[in-house]
Amino acid sequence: MSTATRNRDVWWMTWFFPAWYAVFGVIICLLTRVTPPPRPDVTAAEKVAFFAQHHLTIQIGFTLLLILLGGAAMTNGLVCYQIKRMSVGSVFAYGYIGGMSVGALPGFLLVTVCFLTAAYRPDRNPELISLLYDLGMLSYNGSLGCFTAAYLVLAIAILYDRNEVFPKWFAYVSIWQIITEVIATQMFVFPSGAFAWNGSIAFWLAVVVFSVWLGALIVLLRRAAEEESAKESAQMVAAQ
Amino acid sequence: MQILEQAQDLPTAGNIKAQWVSLWTGPAVGAVLLVAAIAFPGFWPPMSPTMSADQVAAFYADHTAWIRASQVTFNLCGILIVPFLSLIVVQMKRMRQTHVFAYCYLTAMVSGATIFALSNVFFLVAAFRPGRNPELIQLLNDLAWIVFIAPIGMVVSQFVLLALAVYFDDQEHPVFPKWVGHFSLIIAAAMVPAAGAAVFQTGPLAWDGLWSFWVRNGAYALFVIVMFFVLRKAIQRQAVDDGVISA
Repeated sequence: MSTATRNRDVWWMTWFFPAWYAVFGVIICLLTRVTPPPRPDVTAAEKVAFFAQHHLTIQIGFTLLLILLGGAAMTNGLVCYQIKRMSVGSVFAYGYIGGMSVGALPGFLLVTVCFLTAAYRPDRNPELISLLYDLGMLSYNGSLGCFTAAYLVLAIAILYDRNEVFPKWFAYVSIWQIITEVIATQMFVFPSGAFAWNGSIAFWLAVVVFSVWLGALIVLLRRAAEEESAKESAQMVAAQ
Repeated sequence: MQILEQAQDLPTAGNIKAQWVSLWTGPAVGAVLLVAAIAFPGFWPPMSPTMSADQVAAFYADHTAWIRASQVTFNLCGILIVPFLSLIVVQMKRMRQTHVFAYCYLTAMVSGATIFALSNVFFLVAAFRPGRNPELIQLLNDLAWIVFIAPIGMVVSQFVLLALAVYFDDQEHPVFPKWVGHFSLIIAAAMVPAAGAAVFQTGPLAWDGLWSFWVRNGAYALFVIVMFFVLRKAIQRQAVDDGVISA
């Protein structure tokens, strides 16, 4: 058995990770128009108009997401695996998939279902369409604790780890993710302005931090897989 | 399964016993869920998405007791499938590979089960006050059906991960035979079209349609049944390898 194939499953997931986020990005930004988010400070009639205007792309995009939903679980499982390789034991790895498994439902299954249900019967009472719009957007942008828990255990794991699976600075990027989640609590209070779900602070600052976090994670997962491969081939040589 | 006398107190024997109990939760839970499915009036035939709000409200008013009884059973027992699915995770961890697919599978399994649990709640809230405004009952019914049928992504990823794990398990005596990988992908392909239930109100892809209802749910039931025998054999082989039972 060649050394390159020892952790080839990890390599598959490592390549799958950015591929899935690319598809996810196309779905949420270009097709379903939930990112950047539509305005919270609009009337029920304007929300109905939003669904009418993007009817087809919402249906295509979110149906695609219903099929690909599990990709999120797969990317989180990969991060769990890398945390397990750290010197800190399994507790943070299990905490990470625990938090993220909870996050899948309020974090994007609910917005998917709410928007598809709104598009399902466009002639529904506008008040109900408006309810689905708010429920979808607030659960999608306002699911905070599940991700906060995952970022927290990730940050602690990195800081305590002696195997150098991820560099220490990435722990601080993850802590910044927690800070944006704390700020985002305000979207449940403000229907407009900087702290609304489409606001410059509650939304755009969070997007910038998330993009840095995700971009770094993609690179670091690759680096971690490379180091794992190198370590294994070194062990193979030592064993011979 | 007859555990050898001298192996009774070994940790390996405990492991096998635990897996054996989890294995048999599968048919037990399956039987209970089958009864719940037979008892749910909304399945015989599956409620049509083209029903008007008044018709939906009348349906809940006419069948309140049976809807509550069956959906409470789904609510109470549906997630009991988790120990059975956990067995797949345990066996995946025995395969010749890192454990990355197993952790991905575990994550997808938990999220998938949560989605199923949400659909029961929507059915039950719709049945809670049959006198509610019919538009609201129709909304809850739409949410219940769409959440029940359409979000197949979490199970589809489980099938793909299981298939990948089987294909990557290149030891001389793999944990699962290769055909389990092919079978898993066929089940995934059979379930994918059900995502259309969130869009179509008529035809095979509607939530009461031939594909989205019968093929989708039938495929998942078939998967559980086949995996019962696959897992049974895998555990027996593991027990022999561990010296817990005689060959």
